[in-house]
Amino acid sequence: MSRRRGSKKRVVDVPVASMGDIAFLLIIFFMVCSNFMKESAVKLDPPTAKDLETIKETQVSVAISKDEEIFLNGQVVPDAEAIEWGVAALIKDKASQEGRTVVFKCHNEIDKAFFEPVLESISKAGALINASGKDEE
Amino acid sequence: MRKHKKSKFRSDKLPVEAFSDIAFLLIIFFILVTSLTKHQGFLTEIPAGQKSEEKQDKIPSVNIKDNILLFEGNGVTIDELRSKLFELKLGEKENDQKRMVTLEATGQASYQNYFASMAAIDAAGGIVTIVKEDTSGGDK
Repeated sequence: MSRRRGSKKRVVDVPVASMGDIAFLLIIFFMVCSNFMKESAVKLDPPTAKDLETIKETQVSVAISKDEEIFLNGQVVPDAEAIEWGVAALIKDKASQEGRTVVFKCHNEIDKAFFEPVLESISKAGALINASGKDEE
Repeated sequence: MRKHKKSKFRSDKLPVEAFSDIAFLLIIFFILVTSLTKHQGFLTEIPAGQKSEEKQDKIPSVNIKDNILLFEGNGVTIDELRSKLFELKLGEKENDQKRMVTLEATGQASYQNYFASMAAIDAAGGIVTIVKEDTSGGDK
């Protein structure tokens, strides 16, 4: 009998008032922690090789697209010389190895005559190069 | 008078019940559209241009001529190049000078071959040194 009494329907209100706040805090957290791709608009097919490691996304990135356009942090630059000045300016206050590292992405069919001056400019600017590609395995 | 009567039924509270649903929908949307791909590659420091008056001996050299790989002047595949570079045990050498491997390519060499060669040199523990023809006669 006592059980029957206990089974009487009880109305329990779940406190949902703060759910919105929690959700918006989560959105803000993810937005702050996200690294947005700087050259998402750059069209290129990366080269492939074996034994590649996972590399960290850095503050500076240089890319060469299929159409032989050079990008520094997602912005088109006219030539390799501009890369040297740009990279040197971006890393001048950086002391750590990570701060001095530049991610280099290039379309796999670009000729050496076009990409080598860019590589040379990055090294002349005093930066380390993180060459980005796709692992064959 | 009529207006006053209507305002009797107006609630002062904002309708916030749907806020959490909207926010969670936004979270789900961003999770779905975000690509979590990680970049793969290798870290290398190409020595900044220095002019060398004469060619130094005993520095292994990789050449890419018309997209054909050559190691010490002999045609090789990328797998053969990797194994030959591993045989040199460059990673065990203490002196950076002895770890250097020169990479020279003709103007038509594609980045695919260049990248694969650099990755092979790096994986074997070597330091990539770009060789560039100098118009004044020497090597860079």
